[in-house]
Amino acid sequence: MILDWSVIWDYRWQFLHGAGITVALTVLTMLLAIPGGLLLAFMRMSPYRLVSMPATAIVEFFRATPLILQIYWTFYVLPVALDIRMSAFTTALVGLTLNISSFNSETFRAGIQSIRQGQWNAAYALGMTKAQVARKIILPQAIMRVLPALASTWVSLFKDTSLVSVIAVADLSYVSLQIRAQTYRILEVLTAMAALYWLMGYPQAKLVDWIYRRFKVHE
Amino acid sequence: MDLDFSPIADSWQFLARALGVTILLSLSSILLGVVIGLVVGAARTYGGRIVSAGLGFYVDSMRAIPVLAVLVWTYFAFPLLIGHSLNALLAGVLGLGLHLGAYVSEVIRAGLGSVRPGQLRAALALGMSPWQAIRVIILPQAVIRMLPAFGSLFVIAIKDSAIASVIAVPELLRQSQIVAGQTFRPIEIYTGAMLVYFLLCYPVARGVDAIYRRLAPLGAS
Repeated sequence: MILDWSVIWDYRWQFLHGAGITVALTVLTMLLAIPGGLLLAFMRMSPYRLVSMPATAIVEFFRATPLILQIYWTFYVLPVALDIRMSAFTTALVGLTLNISSFNSETFRAGIQSIRQGQWNAAYALGMTKAQVARKIILPQAIMRVLPALASTWVSLFKDTSLVSVIAVADLSYVSLQIRAQTYRILEVLTAMAALYWLMGYPQAKLVDWIYRRFKVHE
Repeated sequence: MDLDFSPIADSWQFLARALGVTILLSLSSILLGVVIGLVVGAARTYGGRIVSAGLGFYVDSMRAIPVLAVLVWTYFAFPLLIGHSLNALLAGVLGLGLHLGAYVSEVIRAGLGSVRPGQLRAALALGMSPWQAIRVIILPQAVIRMLPAFGSLFVIAIKDSAIASVIAVPELLRQSQIVAGQTFRPIEIYTGAMLVYFLLCYPVARGVDAIYRRLAPLGAS
């Protein structure tokens, strides 16, 4: 077998551009999915069933179905159902955000519920409103506790952005699969693709381990 | 928008077979993942530093590379290396199992590590061999503690099996795509597929939770 690694160098800008899209998708999705997750978490903890039920349904549904199918679904169903036109990138962003928001909401809910009830009571006794207690007392502590789980979700998200290649968003995997089809240097191109993901993902995985050690809760 | 669900009814046998492949693919990849996870997890817990570091590299690499990349590499690139073509289903099981195994090994490592080292020493002092001590004393307690994490991994395995559609394994998502393409009814078909996956994953998640609640006291020490 003759290997020709020069293809990788020839297509370096395409690879880098694809990697850029992958990073952009990860960052944008997380930026949207943190407020989205908070919203779903607070809705789910609401005492009104009319508010909590839809949030529970959304979260449970998106956590129990494959992301790749959710992306297809966003691609085919959402534009028709809502009568809008979206670019492939926007579709991917919407699909990923819905999914990650659901996962984040469970993380936030666990974080918020891990703060003892006594802290709410104490803050109420000091005359704070419910929103004030949530913002000033509970959230700052909860954020420290959810940081490790959020970091894990971040790495999963980074990996899962590869699935948007199925709706032709030009991320690293889509670009790599295209180059593979153009050059027929299958082994070289696919190895380069895995290596590029590894180069970006490995430090992130190590960073997550460090965050876990740093922010571990000692009860 | 008018919906027409007849394409699903028309090709229900085709889709039912696909569901069977999804279940087969999920179960096989879990089996492979558990075998890899057990070996790697045990070796990292009880093996030396070098073994642990080497296997740690495998685990962290799998945490960094997307399932999609592992699958396309196993199906398209790996056969070129070994000079032998791979059946799509086999490549799917290999790729998914290899990826899942890293996560399983971390669960097993955490579970084994959660049993106090004094118990291992006590078992050794009673004259048990290390393998006996792990099998009879440590594992039964650790397995129960690992149950919730295994439940999530089980669900992840089912969900990840859908990614094998990219390498044309005839599982539920892939066959749904075919039906959607032939009938021009993507909305109904993908919504139907979504419901089927939900009905597959949700009971597994809740079921493992329920089993764990009943067994949890047995894992306490």
